[in-house]
Amino acid sequence: MNRVHNSLIDELSYDLDPVRPMRISGGLALVALAVVATVVLVELLDGLWRGVLAGEASPVFFITNGMLALLGAAASFAVLRMASPHVGNTHDGARWSAGMLALLPTTALMMLGIGGFAAAVMEDMYGLGCFLAGSAFGLVTAGALIVWLRRGAPVSLAAAGIYTGIAAGALGSFAFGLACPIDDIGHLGIWHVAPVLLCGILGRFAVPPLVRW
Amino acid sequence: MIADEASMAQMMVAAQKGDRAVYRALLAEVQLWLERYFRKRVAPAQLDDLVQEVLLAVHNKRATWDPKRAFYPWLAAIARYRWIDHLRKVYRSAEDELGDHDAAEDSEEEAVMARMSLERLFVHLPEKQVEAIELVKIEGLSIAEASQRSGQSESLVKVNIHRGLKKLSALVEKAD
Repeated sequence: MNRVHNSLIDELSYDLDPVRPMRISGGLALVALAVVATVVLVELLDGLWRGVLAGEASPVFFITNGMLALLGAAASFAVLRMASPHVGNTHDGARWSAGMLALLPTTALMMLGIGGFAAAVMEDMYGLGCFLAGSAFGLVTAGALIVWLRRGAPVSLAAAGIYTGIAAGALGSFAFGLACPIDDIGHLGIWHVAPVLLCGILGRFAVPPLVRW
Repeated sequence: MIADEASMAQMMVAAQKGDRAVYRALLAEVQLWLERYFRKRVAPAQLDDLVQEVLLAVHNKRATWDPKRAFYPWLAAIARYRWIDHLRKVYRSAEDELGDHDAAEDSEEEAVMARMSLERLFVHLPEKQVEAIELVKIEGLSIAEASQRSGQSESLVKVNIHRGLKKLSALVEKAD
């Protein structure tokens, strides 16, 4: 038994090349770059809403986009940590942030009532467009996180997939949210939060096969 | 006696910088640790293969260890991941009988390691799932034999193995 293992150890030692350890700071820089690229893309394709600087945006605009950005950061951080496996890794920050984001559709439901909420879902002519655009812009962040996971050694594949999706959906929706001038709770609490849910589900199934090792 | 956390971390830092002699010593320690780690949870005839698989994984993924974090939890996460993969692949073989390889708790390090042990993972599974996995995937019984031994129906044994392995793979990084 030892003879076989020792020959393997000899081979592996012989093949050893220096490597640069994967540091979380490198991953954070990659995600930051992806977010900047997404915002630039939104500006080029749709144009950011200038009314924000002119003081026209409502508090809900800042709260929603701030929560999306924070959830995106927390979920991204969880994914970056998953690339370096460790018994004892936890992802409570991302979990709590996701729970907090659920406050937005809940608030919309409480403020509008069931009828008003249903109307906001069925009759908002810009809602579906925001939902699809927010999800699509998430692809940039998703790509960056998948690249990082493929370089790493994720051992919790389902969780890595879900959090990659959540991060992508949140940051994509955040970036597109900067271009959307509709700033009432009915629109933001439904159509700008929905990409997080969709991307989380898609990530659960699409990401694991891409990062399995 | 297996090297302690500080020595392993120090050796891994040198290995990441390309020091072959130190890396060789590190892998020898890792091999010993893995043999102990997998004892009782892998059929003896499959222990070699699994240890080699993990050694290769450690080699290929050595850049994923962050020098700011502890070494053994990193190694244990990789070992658990490969072990669950291994359980999925295992088929019955005539020599898979698992002997009694209980080891004495021979060091304090052992107590620390217990937190990352494979037994720790089984605690989170229902008893029936653990029993089905142990009988079929570790002892190497057929589904029919496991059904007879456990009193579970054959389809229940299959379902329990499937659900148990699925749950284990979600627990790889869990420490408590």
